[in-house]
Amino acid sequence: MKKILVIDEEKCTGCRMCEVVCSWWHEQEFNPALARIQIVSDKSESFDWAVVCQQCEKAMCQETCPAGAIYFNAEFNAYVVDEKKCIGCKMCISSCPVGAMGFNPEKGVSIKCDLCEGDPKCVKYCPAGAIEFIESEKVSLKKKYNVLQKFVQELESAGGK
Amino acid sequence: MVNSYAGKFIRIDLSKEKIEVEPIPSDWKERFLGGVGIGAKILWDETDEKTAPLSPENRLVFLTGPVQGTLFPQSARYIVVTRSPLTGWWAHSSAGGFFGPELKYAGYDLLIIQGKSQRPVYIYIDNDFIQIRSAKHLWGKTIPETNQIIEKELGDSNVKIASIGPAGENLVRYACIMSDYYRAVGRAGLGCVMGYKNLKAVVVRGTKGLRPANPEKFMKLFEDWHSRYTPKGRYWEYVESMRKYGTFALVDWENAIGRLPTKNHWTGYFENAEETIGMEPHRKKHYKKHKSCFCCGIQCKYVSEVREGKWQGTVSEGPEYETVEAFTSNFLSHDTNALVRANYLCNIYGMDTITAGHTISFAYECYENGLLTKKDTGDRELIWGEEGMDTVLELLESIAKTKDDFSKLLALGSAEAARRIGGSAWKYAIHVNNLEASGQDPRPHKSMGLTYAINVRGADHLTSISCIDELGYKDEAKRRYKKIADIICDRWDERYKGFLISETEELHALCDSALLCKYGTMWPPIYYFEDYGKIISCLTGMEKYEDLKELSKLARRICHLRRAFNIRLGWTKKNDSLHPRLSVDPMPTGPAKGQTVDLETMLKEYYEIRKYDWATGFPSEKELFECDLKEVVQELKKKNKVIKNPKIPRTGRKWIRWDEK
Repeated sequence: MKKILVIDEEKCTGCRMCEVVCSWWHEQEFNPALARIQIVSDKSESFDWAVVCQQCEKAMCQETCPAGAIYFNAEFNAYVVDEKKCIGCKMCISSCPVGAMGFNPEKGVSIKCDLCEGDPKCVKYCPAGAIEFIESEKVSLKKKYNVLQKFVQELESAGGK
Repeated sequence: MVNSYAGKFIRIDLSKEKIEVEPIPSDWKERFLGGVGIGAKILWDETDEKTAPLSPENRLVFLTGPVQGTLFPQSARYIVVTRSPLTGWWAHSSAGGFFGPELKYAGYDLLIIQGKSQRPVYIYIDNDFIQIRSAKHLWGKTIPETNQIIEKELGDSNVKIASIGPAGENLVRYACIMSDYYRAVGRAGLGCVMGYKNLKAVVVRGTKGLRPANPEKFMKLFEDWHSRYTPKGRYWEYVESMRKYGTFALVDWENAIGRLPTKNHWTGYFENAEETIGMEPHRKKHYKKHKSCFCCGIQCKYVSEVREGKWQGTVSEGPEYETVEAFTSNFLSHDTNALVRANYLCNIYGMDTITAGHTISFAYECYENGLLTKKDTGDRELIWGEEGMDTVLELLESIAKTKDDFSKLLALGSAEAARRIGGSAWKYAIHVNNLEASGQDPRPHKSMGLTYAINVRGADHLTSISCIDELGYKDEAKRRYKKIADIICDRWDERYKGFLISETEELHALCDSALLCKYGTMWPPIYYFEDYGKIISCLTGMEKYEDLKELSKLARRICHLRRAFNIRLGWTKKNDSLHPRLSVDPMPTGPAKGQTVDLETMLKEYYEIRKYDWATGFPSEKELFECDLKEVVQELKKKNKVIKNPKIPRTGRKWIRWDEK
């Protein structure tokens, strides 16, 4: 089954550890600007969310790439940028529906999440445990149980049950 | 050589609107490391005893350290140094959040501000592009408003902003610099200096990378550091508590040992605190969401909200323990809605919650004792308890806007206000060297007394606090202090505490220079000197600092230099003292009832280890030379403020220094 990265927005504290870890593993430098996963925060609403490639079934980045630089790695179920082929046209950045494509201005190539060859480092080091690497089919099941849990809690605090 | 310094610094002269970028001198890095260390060197070199806090000549320096922006799991902070307009002495204050790392990513380790702008301005730094922009449209705006307007006009919601609010503009002596909306460079009035200079904000955006000097070693150590914040870590129970309650847990713990300042530091015990203002009731009533600073393993931040009553809808990050104490027990109030509101007001106007709370409580006690009447207070009635909290909240707004004579008086801080009120008002101004005492009481925690007395920025807990005794880390005490661990852990025993505080002062000096967070260094004690040596070595390539002797010299150098800055300004042994309420007045109630503080026992130990002259408090020439502070010896010699043969107390107690173990 295909595994994807799932963010629990209630757990995410917006610390950006995932960004620093990611940039180190992919670029050997600490630089959130080169991270494949990026935090966006609504500061006044105190809402944090990590944006990362969802490994779409119909991958617009791949379809719009004129250089054929984005390929699907079947072993790790991830779309990957071939840096040698990438011409830096940024079509993938424009076409990505979630804003998960990035760009390395020094190398002149697009960058994206490659799922760290099946062992995503953001998942491993997230202090809040807010990022999970799970089968896409299980995502909604997990969400259903989360809702159930909340429902039970509400009932308990209301003195019902 | 590749290392984790960004390598450059910015100097901006606001009088001339001149911007310069220069490489960081290697002497700064090698002798002073970063953060507060380099800050002390800059203030020493570029100011003198004639430099008034509110003058164009005073410097305001924003500094990072080698740790910022790296994967080190507590790499968020930045620190600002200046001469304080509240205390008149040395001032440093730091904040977490995201501003510090962003400055490094823009390519700069530090930013020196000098001069005074003729018009309100803000500084915009976007990598190599640096600009001074008009802040006319931002003047008078609160912190959130300022942030939103700047983000919008620059079209970038990822810029990191350190700004002042109306309190800084109106020269409230304890105005903060606020970054990332809610993080405060809180103490000693650094926002007031910024306001004086007509500088509304510093805005940073950076997209450059950083690398450690020794990547293999760094990543190997990172695995170890990272595991310390997991259930495998020795102090997991504390990390877990921080992630759940943040610093709120301290309300319960401090009250249990009679150390929760109550009614303007009159006592250290507040009845029913655990049930009303403690960690569990707060979590249930106000907790909204968990937050964190940049790349942090501890993650102690949280957002609180008011869900009922007239302040319903108030949302702000925090309040932290210090703020809780300042706006609940300090006023004999159990009203946490008013607390969250007070925290919100201080955050949006940019005021230090500790000094604000304690300056107002000072006024309350003056009123109670007839030193102030309604004639003086602008017809305000100052009464303790929940019913008095509306006036506290109203005063916070009035002070920030310096609305009337009474709020103008309180905007000066309690020490200066007491001087102006005269009579016995000083009895109720609970400060040390003009800085209001924080949420600590030395009577149940004796080492805290010395911490307050000798700290370069006054009654502050973060320059040398020891949590080993405060929170009872017995196993850690055994590892560090062996045979005398029991005495060290006895909060009521003054013996060895002078030595202990000299050690924590050195540890905190490294912490503020490297620049880590105090959480992880003091509470829980995750990192100790050996760790600092390794962190500094693998990030900067300065391997000499793995040698504890060299590391000790670095730490002492920073401590001596900061004190020398104060000595030059007129600090003597008399300044190493405590307010009677924090020392000789017996604790009236609670678990520590009857306790007082014997400061002299601790001070003698401290002087012995620091080699200070017992008559004057001046440093020893030999010790300064040993710490490679030739320039300090030369200048202090001219003023007769360095002693060739100091009379150093001999306590006879044996102490093995951390660098001799």
